[in-house]
Amino acid sequence: MPEALQVYIQRVIEYAPRLGESLYETGIMMIFAMVAAILLGLPLGTLLYLASKGKPLENKFLYQVANIFVNIVRSFPFLLLVVVMQPLIRYFYGRATGDPVAASFPMMLIAIALYARFVEQSLHDIPKGVLETARSMGVTTPQLVWKFLYVEARSSLIIGFTTAFVSFISYSTIMGVVGGGGIGDFAIRYGYQRYETDIMYSAIAVIIVFVIIAQWLGLKLAARLDKR
Amino acid sequence: MIDIKAATKSFAGKNGDFKAVDSITLSIQNKEIFGIIGESGAGKSTLMRFINALETPDSGQVTVDGTDVVTLGKKALRQHQKDISMVFQHFNLLSNKTVKANIRLPLTLHKYKTPLSVDEVIEFVGLDDKRDSYPAELSGGQKQRVGIARALVTRPKILLCDEPTSALDENTTDEIVDVLRRAQEEFDMTVVIVTHELGVIKQLCRRAAVMERGRLIDTIEVNRSVRGRPELSYHERVLEVLQDA
Repeated sequence: MPEALQVYIQRVIEYAPRLGESLYETGIMMIFAMVAAILLGLPLGTLLYLASKGKPLENKFLYQVANIFVNIVRSFPFLLLVVVMQPLIRYFYGRATGDPVAASFPMMLIAIALYARFVEQSLHDIPKGVLETARSMGVTTPQLVWKFLYVEARSSLIIGFTTAFVSFISYSTIMGVVGGGGIGDFAIRYGYQRYETDIMYSAIAVIIVFVIIAQWLGLKLAARLDKR
Repeated sequence: MIDIKAATKSFAGKNGDFKAVDSITLSIQNKEIFGIIGESGAGKSTLMRFINALETPDSGQVTVDGTDVVTLGKKALRQHQKDISMVFQHFNLLSNKTVKANIRLPLTLHKYKTPLSVDEVIEFVGLDDKRDSYPAELSGGQKQRVGIARALVTRPKILLCDEPTSALDENTTDEIVDVLRRAQEEFDMTVVIVTHELGVIKQLCRRAAVMERGRLIDTIEVNRSVRGRPELSYHERVLEVLQDA
């Protein structure tokens, strides 16, 4: 067995630079997705909450527009969403294939829609009394959001973000179809298509480790912030 | 002065609309402790919420110190609500904020000319040793003290109490009643208390409105008994209520 192990280690060393590169590509896609989730998904989810029935900014039209957007993006088979977005990405970014930044566009779109839904659910879980208390104090909407809603929902917002993060990793693995690269693409190209099964499982193991770490960190942070 | 004229409010119910508040006319004087009593569902809470516009009547008038509350624009409404504090049955504290931060919260929302200090009100309600605790670490009575401290810190001109003791046991109720009475004496404000507990009204109010199914049945003078019977232990009360003929 030590001989087989030796062979394996040698192969891993041989593939390490390619693996590092693909991790870098995954990192780019993940960062774009996370930033989009926070900068746009969080406000969109908050809007979904505030515009819903009985809430301070109740507005059927606004709610439906946001709701339909989220539903369409989330129900689109992701691979097809990637394909459909190609002309748009080409228009905005100049090229639609062959680099992780171009591949980040569909990642950002799904990140916004997915996290917006999580945020909406988290906010709906806040006890009704909190909203009433805020209203009785004569709050503005930004005060309501920052000083009441996000304070009380913070750990559930983080747990939602963690779940979304894990989904982003999963979505990122198919970006190889448009040349986005990434760890998933690495596993498919070197492991699956070239029958180098050991490399494939090694890459998958790396992904699993990432997911476990992310999940652990997210839950730990959420628990620390949860004083309920 | 709080002036409510022919105020009516309906809610959509399972069997059609029902009138939660049915053309009620009522005045509450400045610095008065006024009770609103009735069984649950009588419309007491809705009536009280007219005062700080958490509810708006379908018809009728609500005037507070000459300001027509019903027609206020958003900004003016916030200014109106700024000076009216509210204490809730289920306390409604932010569970992720410490006692101190909960009490300070209203001061971070508006500019107040002469607010009390957080330390002052914490001391007033007797929670000096709990200032850095979170609500989950407090008992019901302590949570309500925080609720009252949060209400007092702005030096409100009106304090609205919505079933302030209904989630508490009897001895704790007496403690809270005591805090409310001292608060009114010390800070000199109008207090409106909604409750179904007659004892609370008896100990606090000089006047009370009696409501039944949305209607104002009567406004009565209360023969106030300044001390309830807070000296008795739970065991003694049990004996008194269950064994006395």
